[in-house]
Amino acid sequence: MTQNQSTIVALATPPGKGGVAIVRVSGPLSRDITSKILGKSLTPRQATYLPFIDRSGQQLDVGIAIFFQGPHSFTGEDVVEFQGHGGPVVMDMLMESILQCGASLARPGEFSERAFYNDKMDLTQAEAIADIIDSGSKQAAISALRSLNGEFSNKVHLLVEKVVQLRIFVEAAIDFPEEEIDFLADDNVVSQLTDIIQDLAELMRNAQQGSLLREGMKVVIAGKPNAGKSSLLNALSGKQSAIVTDIAGTTRDVLTEQISIDGLPLHIIDTAGLRKAKDKVEQIGIERATREIEQADRVLLVVDAAEEKIEDVEQTLSKLLDSDISLPPVTQIRNKCDLTGELPDVCESENLVTVTMSASELTGLDLLKQHLKRVIGYNASESGVFMARRRHIDALTRASEHLDTGYAQLTGMAAGEILAEELKLTQNCLNEITGEFTSDDLLGKIFSSFCIGK
Amino acid sequence: MIYDKSFDVIVVGGGHAGTEAALAAARTGASTLLITHNIETLGQMSCNPAIGGIGKGHLVKEIDALGGVMAKAIDHSGIHFRRLNASKGPAVRATRAQADRTLYKNYVRCQLENQDLLQIFQQSVDDLILQQDKVVGVVTQMGLQFNAKSVVLTAGTFLDGKIHIGLSSYSGGRAGDPPSIGLSERLRELPFNVERLKTGTPPRIDARSINFKELEPQHGDSPVPVFSFTGKASQHPQQIPCHITHTNKRTHEIISGGLDRSPMFSGIIEGVGPRYCPSIEDKITRFSERDSHQIFIEPEGLETFEVYPNGISTSLPFDVQMAFVRSIKGFENAHITRPGYAIEYDYFDPRELKASLETRHIQGLFFAGQINGTTGYEEAAAQGLIAGLNAALLVQEKESWSPSRNESYIGVMIDDLITRGTQEPYRMFTSRAEYRLILREDNADLRLSEKAHELGLLSDALWQLTATKRDLINLEIERMKSSWVQSNSPSAQKINQLLEKPLSREYSQMDLLKRPQLDYAALVEAIPGVGDGLPEPVKEQVEIQAKYAGYIDRQLDEIERNKKQQNLKIPAQLDFSKIGGLSNEIIQKLSDTRPETIGQASRISGITPAAISMLLITIKKRKIRLSGTESSDTESLSVNPKVEQS
Ligand SMILES: Cc1cc2nc3c(=O)[nH]c(=O)nc-3n(C[C@H](O)[C@H](O)[C@H](O)COP(=O)(O)OP(=O)(O)OC[C@H]3O[C@@H](n4cnc5c(N)ncnc54)[C@H](O)[C@@H]3O)c2cc1C
Ligand SMILES: Nc1nc2c(ncn2[C@@H]2O[C@H](COP(=O)(O)OP(=O)(O)OP(=O)(O)O)[C@@H](O)[C@H]2O)c(=O)[nH]1
Ligand SMILES: [Mg+2]
Repeated sequence: MTQNQSTIVALATPPGKGGVAIVRVSGPLSRDITSKILGKSLTPRQATYLPFIDRSGQQLDVGIAIFFQGPHSFTGEDVVEFQGHGGPVVMDMLMESILQCGASLARPGEFSERAFYNDKMDLTQAEAIADIIDSGSKQAAISALRSLNGEFSNKVHLLVEKVVQLRIFVEAAIDFPEEEIDFLADDNVVSQLTDIIQDLAELMRNAQQGSLLREGMKVVIAGKPNAGKSSLLNALSGKQSAIVTDIAGTTRDVLTEQISIDGLPLHIIDTAGLRKAKDKVEQIGIERATREIEQADRVLLVVDAAEEKIEDVEQTLSKLLDSDISLPPVTQIRNKCDLTGELPDVCESENLVTVTMSASELTGLDLLKQHLKRVIGYNASESGVFMARRRHIDALTRASEHLDTGYAQLTGMAAGEILAEELKLTQNCLNEITGEFTSDDLLGKIFSSFCIGK
Repeated sequence: MIYDKSFDVIVVGGGHAGTEAALAAARTGASTLLITHNIETLGQMSCNPAIGGIGKGHLVKEIDALGGVMAKAIDHSGIHFRRLNASKGPAVRATRAQADRTLYKNYVRCQLENQDLLQIFQQSVDDLILQQDKVVGVVTQMGLQFNAKSVVLTAGTFLDGKIHIGLSSYSGGRAGDPPSIGLSERLRELPFNVERLKTGTPPRIDARSINFKELEPQHGDSPVPVFSFTGKASQHPQQIPCHITHTNKRTHEIISGGLDRSPMFSGIIEGVGPRYCPSIEDKITRFSERDSHQIFIEPEGLETFEVYPNGISTSLPFDVQMAFVRSIKGFENAHITRPGYAIEYDYFDPRELKASLETRHIQGLFFAGQINGTTGYEEAAAQGLIAGLNAALLVQEKESWSPSRNESYIGVMIDDLITRGTQEPYRMFTSRAEYRLILREDNADLRLSEKAHELGLLSDALWQLTATKRDLINLEIERMKSSWVQSNSPSAQKINQLLEKPLSREYSQMDLLKRPQLDYAALVEAIPGVGDGLPEPVKEQVEIQAKYAGYIDRQLDEIERNKKQQNLKIPAQLDFSKIGGLSNEIIQKLSDTRPETIGQASRISGITPAAISMLLITIKKRKIRLSGTESSDTESLSVNPKVEQS
């Protein structure tokens, strides 16, 4: 059974040594996409080294591409794989080009799912897929939610509300033409639509200028005074940016460094040690730390390895913060392992990740970097924060195209039903971001907004 | 006493659902018996004398495409036809007509009496005969027993019907008709989920007591629309106008003053009413800022003086009804011929139905119409047709058929009902259809007639008409795609006059037709030979397909892509609780609704895409297992690897 005919794309592996990453495409458009990205078609199953180019003819990267003709492929469909060196940002630009060719982003586990439907997997292998889909979609939901915190999320929600508000008018005009008001003739509709188009354009400008994707994810270092937070920042950035002393309460303000792990851009933020501070300056520092944590994609909770191992990091952090803000995922860093004699180590259990290391001796630093790359970059490649954000931008782009067409239809042809269609598609796109797909009771809203019916 | 003849199909109830059900069953070759309270009320319109409207008109055209009677009946009895949304695009245009009640009823009865294999019997049905969980016949009020292989129940608003006027209430099926109490009690003993709904109707007024001089007339449209694809305007009886008046501040004051004696506001009525058909007392309380509401004064027929004031449905006490009616312009001296009232009645949770409208609990028993939680003649008739058809197919041991969401409004309605249920009387609206641009009134025949013919619902001759039309449309589209207009030709010069910028290169006629400034008539005008000999409906279809081209393609694409998955059957024995990774809430919802296909499952509220993936995997695995050799525990469907390996 071929489940459907769409073509999907995703990062298949995170960048390894030297930043090599694989983008995989599966579906009927694969062949077409191959020639668009490479400027030529490929002999099946032959690795070819050549430049990847975008729509405007600009070279994105040079790498290896392999085309697999269905059914002789992982999924059983036509598949093409691009292996690039350019790191996540370049790979993302490559994915964007592929999306523009008509592919859509794969759901978690979708490649395996297709392989299964196309009889490319036996029953035992298939047992695992359900788990991947299940955990993958939960993870994706969490990632999407995280990256949605704050202003961006508010704006998307506001936009959805405005679209729904407009749809109420447009649908009412169509289903209730015998009422005394002609909803469509109302100038209101054009001005509401223009308003939405402007809002979306602004949102896209912000999103694309990098604050969302290209600029990188936020990692906040937090913990008690003297745990070694500033030392960790210095270790990760490879320079002495923060002052390190053995005086508790050295750091009083937030300090940000940009780093890149195999091309994955990250903001590392050092914060003031968390304690009941009497000093006014330190209090403000702790407030700022709290705010940074709230907006982080990940928190590194630094503790002294001499202290007892923490079992519930979230609870510990909440206690230290003395507030119940919603917390991003937390990694426990057991620092100063050189003093306790423990060996550097990463220990991942279901709800607790612990990295044992030494910030001053730089031992275990690589383990931490690999860990960060996995959890923030593209672990379970289709569900990480990175992919979540790629999805957002993709959805915004499609939403904006629908709005533009809708506008042209309304102003040019007064075609209410086509505007309605475009608005519905716009809302579907925005819903992909918020993850709220439940049918919004549009009719219900019409009845409560207007006195309708005979 | 047992009646000496046994039937294939028995239809209980001769309303809009029942008459279409009986006709459809008989058309497909089943020996059919229609039992109803009263032969005089066959095809009776309980409420307003009108057929069609937005969404409803679409249903009527689909009923016609499936060989039903409704469109033909209104073509022969309509006294005021309109095309709604005429200024908007073709997808949302809809036909509506006022009917002469008596002519309508007579036409339906005549069709019933002339239908082969169909017999009619006048009695109340009080009981169903069951063998285990299978229905085998019915018993009437006088104890007469009829045997049949399947039964379609279409009791409308009659099951334990209770009529309210002010604070007094009495049992009734609708004004002037008895309720169905015995049958209601019997059905409540069966494992159905029964709830109550409510609807209402306005008082009727003697036209001779209305001052029409003061009122704005509303005439029917010209050219006069028709409903049936084979209908003609010449079938219509004499056309007469409607009138419009309004409530005013005084009216609203009178109504407010009577609210303490309203059965709705005093809590006597428990059933939920339709929000889109609010009573006048509802309107003035919920939208108190409005000091006037529109009323359409609709004639009830050519041979009667009664009119139907559409917009003032009410269950207020009669003295309040009289007072507020007389406060309305034109009604100062109005004489009310029948009081307005509300009615409460039983309905069954439609989530207990299959798409064929057979009940999941009792084999051979089908439900259609108002008892499934819908409201409206068109909604009832459409369900009746599908239920009657499937009752016959069951007897003939053929596979059931119900149209899908992407081919019809009927499919949208049935799917909505069986996957989501309804909390208020369900009425069709175009916004319920996700494929609105494809599901148009104008192409209902092209969408459904082929299947109808295959099922035996439509005669060869009628199908031939549609087949010819379809072929002509396709030929014309192909011709236009490969016929070119040169930029310097005389045709181009004529066309340029309609465009902002003149044509700069050659274009196919089809591409020209896609331009907003051009229509088919313009091409006929500009290009010699175009449209010669083609019937109007063919030209219309070509034009619509050009105008909606991109959208139709996108929707068809989506339908095609999802088709396999949507139609994939979920095995009836599948135990949802054994599928790993589904939350309890999702397992509960799936078990309650028991979707027949993946498509239905995906539309149940709260079912996530991940859950659908798990279902798909489970079904496929089950198939592999069942076709495998060694499998002994074929019912173990867990996808939890831990369980599997142990
Ligand atoms: C007061 C009122 C107000 C309404 N208002 C609206 C409205 O505003 N808008 C709207 O769209 N629709 C309205 N309707 C609904 C519309 O009339 C129905 O939707 C439509 O008639 C339903 O068709 P049906 O075939 O399901 O049932 P009905 O038309 O009710 O027909 C049921 C038939 O079954 C027969 N019957 C019932 N029980 C038995 C039995 N035990 N044995 C034998 N025969 C039986 C009855 O005699 C009747 O002929 C209203 C109806 C009423 C009564
Ligand atoms: N032995 C050892 N000492 C360390 C390590 N990391 C930090 N230190 C020492 O611990 C002390 C505190 O380090 P900082 O990095 O300033 O600690 P901090 O958490 O930033 O402290 P505040 O800014 O005061 O909250 C310094 O004396 C560091 O040299 C480590 O891994 N091993
Ligand atoms: Mg510090």
